[in-house]
Amino acid sequence: MTFSGALVLTDLNDFITPSQACIKPVEEINKPEVARKEIEPGAAASEIMIDGSGGYYEVSQGVGASGGGKRLEQAQISLNDCLACSGCITSAESVLITLQSHEEVLNFLESNSKEEEGKRKIPVISIAPQVLASLAASISASASSSTTITPQQTLRRLRVFLKQNLGFAHVFDTTFARELALREHVKEFLERREKARRQAESGKENQEPDGKNQYLPMLASACPGWICYAEKTHGEMLPFIANTKSPQQVMGTLVKEWMGTKWGKRPDEIYHVCVMPCYDKKLEASRSDFYNEIYATRDVDCVVTTGELDVVLRDKGWDLSIPVDGEMDIQHELLPELIGHPGTSSGSYLHAIINHLKKTSEKPLELSVKQIRNADYEEYELREESGPVVFKGAKCYGFRNLQNVVRKVGRESGVRVGMGAAGKLGGRMVRKKDKEEGQGHKIEYIEVMACPGGCVNGGGQMKAVGGGEWGEAEVRWGNREWTKRVETVYWLSGNDEQLDPELLREIDGTGLGLRTSYRAVESNVVGLAVKW
Amino acid sequence: MVIDEDFTYSLQSVAELGGHEDRAWHAAWNPKKPILASCSADKSVRLYTYHEDGEGKLSVSFLTSIPTGHTKTVRALAWSPSGTTLATASFDSNIGIWEQELDDDGEPGEWECSGTLEGHETECKSVAYSSNGNLLASCSRDKTVWVWEVVPDSEFECMGVMMEHTQDVKCVSWHPKEEILASGSYDDTIKLYVDDPQDDWYCVNTLTGHESTVWSLAWSPNGNYLASGSDDRTVRIWRRVGQYEFKCVLTLEGHDRTVYSVTWGIGKGKQEDGYLGWIASAGGDGVIRVWELKEHSTSEPLSHKMLTRFTDAHSVHDINTVVWCPRAGYEDLLVSTGDDGVVRVWRVTPVSV
Repeated sequence: MTFSGALVLTDLNDFITPSQACIKPVEEINKPEVARKEIEPGAAASEIMIDGSGGYYEVSQGVGASGGGKRLEQAQISLNDCLACSGCITSAESVLITLQSHEEVLNFLESNSKEEEGKRKIPVISIAPQVLASLAASISASASSSTTITPQQTLRRLRVFLKQNLGFAHVFDTTFARELALREHVKEFLERREKARRQAESGKENQEPDGKNQYLPMLASACPGWICYAEKTHGEMLPFIANTKSPQQVMGTLVKEWMGTKWGKRPDEIYHVCVMPCYDKKLEASRSDFYNEIYATRDVDCVVTTGELDVVLRDKGWDLSIPVDGEMDIQHELLPELIGHPGTSSGSYLHAIINHLKKTSEKPLELSVKQIRNADYEEYELREESGPVVFKGAKCYGFRNLQNVVRKVGRESGVRVGMGAAGKLGGRMVRKKDKEEGQGHKIEYIEVMACPGGCVNGGGQMKAVGGGEWGEAEVRWGNREWTKRVETVYWLSGNDEQLDPELLREIDGTGLGLRTSYRAVESNVVGLAVKW
Repeated sequence: MVIDEDFTYSLQSVAELGGHEDRAWHAAWNPKKPILASCSADKSVRLYTYHEDGEGKLSVSFLTSIPTGHTKTVRALAWSPSGTTLATASFDSNIGIWEQELDDDGEPGEWECSGTLEGHETECKSVAYSSNGNLLASCSRDKTVWVWEVVPDSEFECMGVMMEHTQDVKCVSWHPKEEILASGSYDDTIKLYVDDPQDDWYCVNTLTGHESTVWSLAWSPNGNYLASGSDDRTVRIWRRVGQYEFKCVLTLEGHDRTVYSVTWGIGKGKQEDGYLGWIASAGGDGVIRVWELKEHSTSEPLSHKMLTRFTDAHSVHDINTVVWCPRAGYEDLLVSTGDDGVVRVWRVTPVSV
């Protein structure tokens, strides 16, 4: 027996550990009035009472204490607070579930359908290709027939379900948004490379400590787990992280701005749901950067995971293993469908850059790949035929490899690693060592993903189906054999057709904002005097 | 001081080393040179040297103090097997790596920080080098155990981050010959980790039995047993019964309070068949206990004999650490550290009849 993804939240493992305590409520209670009381000698002691309805009251016990007491403000933790802290992402299940869950989506759809004609929002849903691969692998493994269902078939079947049963107006996959993100990513890489080149020519190396001059290596920006971790614990890495939005947020912009304009709808007249392989995508969608203040709406209103979509399918009794009419036909729904991006199943960010460099190079370039320890860390080199290395990039998945990348980038670029005391540690020997390094071609780009195996193995994906078949008595998330299976299925679809240049030109012309920014989160937790 | 009459050994105080301005947490004997290091909540590391005069009398003298630069307590120490590198684990969540610089004349000079290992989110509790010195392990209140590979030029590469314990991890200890790592935790369990050559480090087994926090771990010198000290006031001895299978074969009782530290050395007992060396344990009750262990066959229980016992070793204070000296000829030397900030060196001496 296996559990569906969403049921086994305790298995959730995005490889970033929960913090020990949530600090948010502590920040809220420091009202000046209270502070004054505390410094008065012999001030009345106070006590906190909780009434039947869960309200908190501060009750004074000293002289002149009245019966009522002062109602205290209830400490509240919103998803945005969690994002700003990110300490306990993986443990705050309840927050995630209530604010961005499949139930939230179903509730919206129900109330939306009851609205008057003119007030109804357009419900749109966008599905990541890794989600399709996970569902397809899952159906194929549990179906009696031995045929493998492709992500394309899965998308078609989901489209019928999502439109007919749930009432979505449009069902997209996110590969076209990824295409735009990849183009922007390459563009940003070239910009950074040019700036770094000019900087090197002028002879000024990373002299500004605030990171303004730090361009390379560029680090991928699509993984929200990595972004949260970097903002919280490695602020010195932020200048290196690409400012290009992730495909999810590009899709958000596309739907709310570009399509909205096409449909004559304001952003808040569209309800946009994304289905993602990853829980942290919920946090990404709630970032203030992706909130439209004018219309009080998010670019992506709600994110659900693969496992949560599976729960909806089960609840509604929809069987994805049953074919639907025309599922093999080519369908075009406003956007081209399932565009293949050869490279990695996490989005091919590194390969997009490699392919661009190869395509635009005057001399033919050779690519060599070196795997270090396992498939989660690979170094890629582009060199002119029996000539010099012209580009060096790496793919780095999983928390462990990420640690090494952070150390390496910190060392090579001379920025301080970490927020801890290490800045004070590290004497002459460290500095001496730094100077001796820097031989050979430095890494210019790293495709960083927090999950081992990348996005096909995201924390929100389906659990392995089929028990012992996957080499372990206990089937759990992160099973490598199962991940390989999902990876294989992932590559079964992929449209190689040329993209309509008209469409790209039209989108370019609208000047959609495809960049974002990051902020280091300073922890204000004061370490308690722990004796143990 | 109480010395029971039937004890065949006694614990003789060799030196009482003051100097730490706060609780002394841990101490480590350099495996190659006559150097003893201690660390404290005062954020410093103190180094001592020791030598024997012609009559076998041991004297210990202060060498130098390293003001580390850690912003919080230095909780634990570990020497690399080569004896050239010292690792410090601190509550500031970092690990410091220390090496002695050569001065202009090529003579050993100041102890310098040659690197730091960051990654733990909260207090780092313990640090340990593997037997060949290629790996370094650390653990923390953040519930994780990390394994680092030691690469040239005092650089380190993260090999694994194990998030297996459900609570604070108190200690890590490497098998004396193989690359097997053990960790003890506030979740009352001991976990064992090995490397999957195709993949990452993973937890290969969990030992349950202790009824409270596991504070300290020590492998037997031959690697066939593991000793664990716990808040349940016992020391348990686990026998290796399979590649990664362990079974508790003995529970040593007697401590009235938490056992904070257990150490297993070769000792200077009679090297006959089945001799497993000496175990010393200490903790909240301020008593140091020394046992000799023997195995008769691998199917029978171990036999144990208390060699000696010393009460109020750090007056009324908790004892945080006891460690046997690993150097040949000095196997009867024991160091203890206490909440009184004092580091004491002891010698286990046969009682002359």
